[in-house]
Order: sequence, then structure tokens, then C-alpha cells
Amino acid sequence: MSAAQPLKNFRILDLSRIWAGPYCTKLLADMGAEVIKMESMRVYDSHRGPVAPAPGIAAYPDSDPGEEAWNRNGWFNCLHMSKYGITLELTEEKGRRVFEELVSISDVVVENFRQGSLTRLGYDYETLRQIRPDLIYASMPAFGNSGPWQNYVAYGIGQEQLSGMAHMTGYVNDGPMKSGINHGDPITGSHAAGVLLAALRYRRRTGKGMFVDVSQQESAVALIGGEVVAYQISGEEPQRMGNHSPWFAPQNAYLCKGEDRWVTIGVTNDEQWRGLAEALGQPELAQDPRFVTNRDRLQHRRELDALLGAWVSEKDMWEVTSLLQSKGVPAGPVLRGPDLLENPHYTDRGTFNYVDHPRVGPKWYQGFAWRMSKTPGQVHWPSPTLGQHNRQIYRELLGIAAEEIDDLEAGGVIGTKPTGSRII
Amino acid sequence: MPGLLEGVKVIDFTQHFAGPYCTKLLATLGAEVIKIERPGVGDPIRGIPPFASERQPGESGAWFLYLNTSKKSITLDLKTEKGRELALSLVENADIVVENFSPGVMDRLGLGYDALSRINPALVMTSISNYGQTGPYRDWKADEINLYATGGLMNITGEPEEPPLKEGAPLSQLGAGQNAFVATMTALFYAEDTGGGQHIDLAIAEYATNVLENALMQYSYSGVEFTRVGNRGYGRAAWGIYPCQDGFVGIIAGPDQNWPEVARIMESEELADPRFASRQGRLLNADEVDALMLPWLLEHDKVDIFKAGQDHGLGFSFVAGMQDILEMEQLVARDYFVELDHPIAGRFRYPGPPISPHSNEIEPWVYRRAPLLAEHNLSVLGELGYDSQGVERLFAEGVI
Repeated sequence: MSAAQPLKNFRILDLSRIWAGPYCTKLLADMGAEVIKMESMRVYDSHRGPVAPAPGIAAYPDSDPGEEAWNRNGWFNCLHMSKYGITLELTEEKGRRVFEELVSISDVVVENFRQGSLTRLGYDYETLRQIRPDLIYASMPAFGNSGPWQNYVAYGIGQEQLSGMAHMTGYVNDGPMKSGINHGDPITGSHAAGVLLAALRYRRRTGKGMFVDVSQQESAVALIGGEVVAYQISGEEPQRMGNHSPWFAPQNAYLCKGEDRWVTIGVTNDEQWRGLAEALGQPELAQDPRFVTNRDRLQHRRELDALLGAWVSEKDMWEVTSLLQSKGVPAGPVLRGPDLLENPHYTDRGTFNYVDHPRVGPKWYQGFAWRMSKTPGQVHWPSPTLGQHNRQIYRELLGIAAEEIDDLEAGGVIGTKPTGSRII
Repeated sequence: MPGLLEGVKVIDFTQHFAGPYCTKLLATLGAEVIKIERPGVGDPIRGIPPFASERQPGESGAWFLYLNTSKKSITLDLKTEKGRELALSLVENADIVVENFSPGVMDRLGLGYDALSRINPALVMTSISNYGQTGPYRDWKADEINLYATGGLMNITGEPEEPPLKEGAPLSQLGAGQNAFVATMTALFYAEDTGGGQHIDLAIAEYATNVLENALMQYSYSGVEFTRVGNRGYGRAAWGIYPCQDGFVGIIAGPDQNWPEVARIMESEELADPRFASRQGRLLNADEVDALMLPWLLEHDKVDIFKAGQDHGLGFSFVAGMQDILEMEQLVARDYFVELDHPIAGRFRYPGPPISPHSNEIEPWVYRRAPLLAEHNLSVLGELGYDSQGVERLFAEGVI
């Protein structure tokens, strides 16, 4: 470990699964927090995939699940670097005792089970607070911990729909469209990470912990809250506009030379429009009464699309981008997976992390979400295999004797192999 | 009651979407956020419609009102010597500066990190920009659509035979703003522990790459490019957005053990066919499965379908519009919306906290309406020692 890590003094017991919770704790682990990811061997994080998946799934190295497929799934491995991985069965009495010991030395507990699941095991904020009075407990069910829908479940894709995001995404005159990701998840994860840090700072000043109620749905609505206010002002639901902007024109994606290669143009003011007209070799367009002001251009955006579409159709997307950027016009190519990894800008900034995983080999992953001048993020180790750090955490951190750990393993309370047949 | 971040002071040079969302989170968690705006026009997002008041659009745009709650507004012409001096005096006593100008602008104004850290070594300075403070695209111009494209999200959103699509809301910028909030809090810990501030460089395009989920990883793992799949989940079937009687719903077919329940809810024995029992089987027969689900979906309302699934433990959803959201029984029961009265815009219901910290000693979400342009000139400059005549003079000189 080279540079100092700003969150090194915080220990987070992370019971969360899939993406929202793990994204929250990834942001914190990247900045040095000690994150202990706890899984059950029976129902481990479903991002590890099935115990025995069919071959051909591209999230495994060379599309081959291989031996111990649950340790080779990229969905899991891209989210848990620098976290400790342990297993523990809370349905076993011995497991519960170990869990309570873990809680007693943790600053934060994060979970995103279905609402009430942990309570049914006998653990809620009030009981855990008896063990650790200044605990910060973040519970992240889909709809929060109260209200008529509190027992309902939803995934990131559902949150895009229930928050209004999907309603306003889609092609013109067509239905709503999901994003290519489960966008609700990182939105909740990021909000939760920030509020947890605020709660930790408050605790540091007052000695008081607290319960943090996370409704993934509220988190997503909050992010696009301007639209909720806009609707009350205008009385009009937001429209699906494809790649058009409700505010500026011309804005769209245009098909370039090559297969499925697109350039985006995003003009936001008159000066940029003049630059674009110049780049087109038709500076007089800037004076064309159809296009002079942004309001004019919004009205005539289909004509602008036709003009720009024809102009780029035989050009390379990079050539268009360079030319437009040289004229001060917002433009950029639609980048695909291989483009991102080869991109000179991202390479220069070290945007992606190359991490060697013992069961996978060296691969590229999403990197740190920001740069810090004094305490840059660090990858300390790749995402843990199931139960990888059991010995380390139980022996070194909790001081459990080696033979007792053997007993726990023999009794199926901890382990490194799945005991169920998890299927997603 | 105070908020969690009571006592934290933020000088906010941000505008548009990304920076203001970051400082909105700081402000509503209780930090004092002083937003510095350009005299006359202010934050350009004041020009984004719709406006609640046609007469004073600059004070009543929906996105401005929403993104700037709980902040104070002062105007400063940062290009004047006096304006810069005043900004420096404010920064001297602050914990945090957030800005999202183009890279280099703060330096040219004499307000770059080096200058600010000299007068306040513990300062956390968070800079949000399109492509970051370094690298070959540093000075590239961009709006939401461009960042969504170069960040890789656009290529995987939309139908395979249609153009790549951006999401409707400016999510790259807003998402970058929320991550900037996490970054800022992280650096605040380090500053309070060590007395050493630092500079955060957050690129909006990199936010998009950071949330690519498995798209980047998959290519690296197997060389198989992740492509657009429209409304179907990648490698899934009976999983996505479908039309129904009064709108659209989200159907989630898995896990496999839930599928018989889906078939039962949709009252279709054909859907219970063993050919569709596994994820792989549904994928191979995706069009047939869709065709069998549609008649039932088209006969039922979105909320009824949502609840039919949820009551059986299935993560169904529905596509909500803004009216649906304002009326949603769950949000109403949780008192999610907060009504704020604004002297020009009027009363609206604002979405409440994205996350709710519970404590009987703090206000979880310190919500006040957005400020009028320059509303806090007198009080903020007063704290710097200017009386009303002094403020008058600054106004006459065009500094504020």
C-alpha cells in the first residue's frame, strides 16, 4: 500500500448483493474502507451465477464457466475488488454468534435483502444496536422500510420504470425503453455511499449511530426530480424524444461510414451552431432564418437532422469528431467495448483497471469513479473467491482459534463451496 | 434541527446539472452552501424551461428550482479583481469548493487549486468536468448526448436495428454529480484527519464508463461485444418492458423457480409448457413466449399487473409517468414529497430525500426552496464585513 487511504479507519460489514449495495461498498472500498463482504454458501451473491452454468455465457473467461464457475463470473468480479470475502450461515446457531461478533467490531452494516428478511432471522437495527450501540445500519430494500409496498421487490431495471426514467427514454412515437444497464442500482449505491459517509462523520462528532432507510425507488426519483417539478409546472408528461434534446438543437446521433458506427452532435448555443455551419462548409446556414436561434433550430430540427445525416454518412466518426471539436462544437463518437479499452483518452487517464484474478487471469474492469490528488484509489486485491478470507477474518480479526474455525467449517457454518444449487 | 452536515461550509461555483446536484446533496444534508452566480444571468440552467412564471423565467425554471434547494445565492463577477478577492475570502473559511467549469477556467480566474490551497491548505476542491482535468479530450466540448456516447452507455441502449439511444433524463451529468458528492465526503474525512485538503478530478464521461455494469467486463472476459437488445434483458427472455392495457409494465421471468407462478398469474397453460421452464428455453423461444404473454397483458392495467406479480413475490414493475409518481401510494404513505413555497414560482411538491437517515436529533433532509439570484448578497457579504453601503458600492462597481 503506497498512498494513504482516506477511509481506512472504517469497517463495513456488507451483506448486500447484486449491484446497488455492492456498488455502494465498491466506491468506499476503492477509497480504503475495510469492506467485509459476507455471503451464505447456500444463497451466495447471485452475480456469481449458477453453480453449474451452461457453457457459452460470455461473462466467463472465453465463455467457459470452467471449474468453480462461481469464482469466475465477471458480473461478480467487476464489483468486489479490495473487499474481504467471507461466508457465514445465519441459520446456524454458531453462525449467529460469529455474526454478532462481527457486528460488534463494525462501524457500518449494509444490507439489501428483501425488506424484513434479516428481521425474520432475528436481526434488525434495534437488536444489532444492542451489540454495537453506535452502529450505522443501512437497509436498502426496493421500496424502503415502511409503507404498503415495503415487502415488494424490484431490481434496477424496475427502478428505471418506477422512477419515471424509462417513461422518458425511447424512440419518437414508440414505447418506453430500458437503458442498457440496470441504472437504478448504481444510482442507489452512490446515494447510499455518500449518506453513509455523512452519517459516519456525524457519529464521529457525536458518538451516535443511526438507522439509514434506503428506498431504491425514492433514490431514483430524487435523481430526476426536476422532471417531477417540471410536470407540475407544465401539466405535460415528458416526451420520448429519441436522441433529441427537449432544450437544444441540433442534437442527435448520426450514422457514419462503417457498420453501426455513429457520431453524436450536441449543439447547445448559437456560437456552436455557427461553428457547425462552418464545419459543414456552409457558413451561410448560420444566417438561414430557419436556424438562427435555438428556438428556430428546435422548430426545424428534422431538417437539421437530414442535413447533418447526409453530411456525415460517408465520413468516419473520428474524422467528424475531430473536425467539429476543432470548431468548438460538442461532438463525440458512440464508443463500443473494444473502442473504450483502446481509447487514447481513457488509456492516458488510466480510466480502467487491469486486475489479475487467480481463477480468471488478468482482465480489464471499470476503474475508480474519480481521481484524488493525494489519496488515489487503489486495487489491493481482485474480487474474492467464495469464502476466500474466512481464515484471515475469523482468525486474525475475531481471534477465533484455528480448531474452532475447523469446527465451523466441518459444521457447514463457513466454507468455500456452494451448498445449494443457486440458479438465476 | 440541524442536518448531518451541520457546520460544513461549501463554496459552490457550479452550474448546469452535474455540479449543482452534488451541492444539492451537501446542502440538504445540512451543509451551508453558498452558490456563486454570474451577475445578471446567474446559472445558465435558470434558462431551461418549463418556467412557472413567464414574467420571471430566470427564477422559476423547474430544473433550477429542483437542483438548487437549500442553497444561498450570491452574485460575483469573478473576472474583476474585487470579485476574485471576495471569492478568495469566502474560500478561506470554507471546507469545500465544488466547481464544474471547463478545465483551466478556475486557473485563469486565479481560483485554481494551487491558489485556493495556498490560502486554505485543508480545502477539499472537487472539479467536475466532461472528460477530466487531464488527457487528450480534456478540452473537448460536450453535452449530455456526447458524454453518454463516449462513455459507452449509448451503444448498449436501444434496439439492435435502430440508432443507439440515450436515456431521456441527463443521467450522465446527474450521476456524475452524485458520485462527486461521495468523492467530496471521502476527501473531507482525509482533510479532517490530517489537515490536508486535496483536489478531486471527476469526469462525467468516466461516470458513464463506471456504471457500464458488465458491458466492458464481458468484452474483456470473452471477446464477445455487448450489444443493444432493446427492451429484453441481455441473454434473457420474458424479461423487460411490455405493453399493457393502460401503459407499459416490466416483467421479470426469473429465477426459474418463479416461472410457473408467472404462467399462473397470466392464466396461460401454454406458458407453463416445459419448453419454457428454463431461462435457456425461454430464450430459444422468446418470440413465442412474448406472444403468449401479450393477450393477458393487454387486458390488464399496469398497477394491477405490478401488484399481481408482487403479491406472489415477483419483481414486476410498471412504467410510471410523473403523475403516477406524484400519486404513488407508496410514496404518499412515506410522506416522500416535500411542499416548498417559492415567492415567484409558487408551491410545488419536490421529491424528498434519496436516502433517509433516521435520528431524532437531526433533520434528515434540510429542505428549503431554491434562492433568488443574489438573494443572499447582503447576508453573506455582511459576514465578510461589508455593511449595506459597502454592498451598494460593490453593486455600483459591477462586482455583484
